[in-house]
Amino acid sequence: MKNIKRLLKNDTARKILFFFNENPNCIDTAKGISLWIGGDANNIQKALNQLVKEGIIASHQTASTTAYAYTNNKQIVKKIEKCIKNM
Amino acid sequence: MNESEKKEKQEFLIKFSKSSSISAFRALCSKILKKSRCAFLDAEYRPVKYGGECNHLKLGKYLARIKAGLLREYMIFKCSCGKICLSFPIIQGSSVYGYVLFIHLAAEPKKTAVDSARICMDLALKEFQKEQELTKLYETIRPRAIALSTIHTIHRLLSSTLDMDELIERIARLTLQVMRSRHCSIMLLDESKKYLVPKAMIDLDKEIPKTDPKYKKIKLGLKLEGRVAKTGKTVLLRNSICVPLVEEDVIGVISAGDKTNGAPFDKFELEILITLAEQAVIAVKNAQMYEEQEKMAYASIKTLAALLDSKSPNTFTHSDQFVKMVLAIAEQMKLSREDIVNLHYSALLPDTGKFSIPDEILKKPGSLSSREYDIIKKQHLESLKIIEHLEFLKPAMPIIRHHHEKYDGTGYPDGLKGGQIPVGARIMAVANAFEAMVSARPYKGKKIGVSQAIKELEKNKSSQFDPEAVDAFIQVTKKPEFENMLGASA
Repeated sequence: MKNIKRLLKNDTARKILFFFNENPNCIDTAKGISLWIGGDANNIQKALNQLVKEGIIASHQTASTTAYAYTNNKQIVKKIEKCIKNM
Repeated sequence: MNESEKKEKQEFLIKFSKSSSISAFRALCSKILKKSRCAFLDAEYRPVKYGGECNHLKLGKYLARIKAGLLREYMIFKCSCGKICLSFPIIQGSSVYGYVLFIHLAAEPKKTAVDSARICMDLALKEFQKEQELTKLYETIRPRAIALSTIHTIHRLLSSTLDMDELIERIARLTLQVMRSRHCSIMLLDESKKYLVPKAMIDLDKEIPKTDPKYKKIKLGLKLEGRVAKTGKTVLLRNSICVPLVEEDVIGVISAGDKTNGAPFDKFELEILITLAEQAVIAVKNAQMYEEQEKMAYASIKTLAALLDSKSPNTFTHSDQFVKMVLAIAEQMKLSREDIVNLHYSALLPDTGKFSIPDEILKKPGSLSSREYDIIKKQHLESLKIIEHLEFLKPAMPIIRHHHEKYDGTGYPDGLKGGQIPVGARIMAVANAFEAMVSARPYKGKKIGVSQAIKELEKNKSSQFDPEAVDAFIQVTKKPEFENMLGASA
């Protein structure tokens, strides 16, 4: 929970989490996500890497493409929803 | 007016009262009426709950009392405390949605001022309607655009592999992700077209081994998947969703079950799964065609190897053990699948280059003269022309051509060294030398034991052999299946 609160303090990470919370079925590349939420693609890539590390975002990797999706972990999703509601 | 209409009008009023067009309307009215604060009442003169401006509750009751029906025109009136108020109806089409109230005006407004304020109100309403339409459009189009982008990303992820096992597993994982489900399975029809064979089963909570009873094949028409495969029709249930994989006929099914948040599957998700299944079918067909092509390629190489073998057994080809060793080293070094396939082709035809080397040189015991060595180098390249027309062997040609190179650059045909030598050729050189040492080839003299051969390889690390390939080979020899195999040849 603390981690999620800390991550939500970061503008880009917050935008990404809001986006996936609203569109949990989405799978997209960093570039695609930057189109949906706006902002610098490099910052978005960095934030995505951090979120993958924290287990909040899942990454699907092939030789040429890395795509990102919302975690399937029910507990994490609930915690994020709670944090977003309290914002 | 029924309840849903009332609710709709109430929602409209709340949104309108908070909209940016109302802010502009207020700014204009502060100039026209010298009053910017306004309140909103619904069609029954009840105050719309909005911020702190609900102290006009009494006024609403007062208005309702003096005017029983709907008011379609503006009205100037004095409230119960005797101050001047102005109300405008908010009209959409033929319905009155509510009223805007300007309370306690300093003086009675002139008709021109009221008319101007009314025009501003009309403009604000039109602007709000446009805003609403845009919002609706955004709310409808955006999720579809995101879904479309998701499908495009899935297409990219699926088209990047031609390995069937990897592909099926990937389709299942992506389905699980997109459907937000706990389980997903992919089943393909067997050759008889009577049974569905589970190819991938994923459960979010536990790994399902291929030996699990869940991997048992299903007869067409039985269970949810069997029925979908038989009828070719999608099924959407509260906790399960299943769609057929259709090329011309049904080739299998893809199903997902139990959403992680416990919600039911909906039509939108069914639509996404149908599109995903269409992408999956294309990818599966491509992988199947690639598998067919690969089989044909192996068959051609084996035919060629058999022909060469019939001319002189074990001269141009090596043992199955050699091929296994080469592939095991490649896997130990974590080569890509494509590199391993090419290496496999090369390992089946390693010494095609010897084809036009005269027998007296090829089978000569002991060391070669420099003239004989020159002939070998020349004929090695000459012989490779036999296979250069086989398109699928093109990526394997550099491996076959260079596997007699030495790591320090003293080998043939081009004297390449280190990383200049294709990695497959470096691997083949190690396996080739090992096999030559442990087997009794007529021209190599006495065979030696496995441990002694490994010592020889280690001794020649970095001079004759790629140290990484030698280390990988040593790791491979420690594996039980190779210990048994090597034990037999020792």
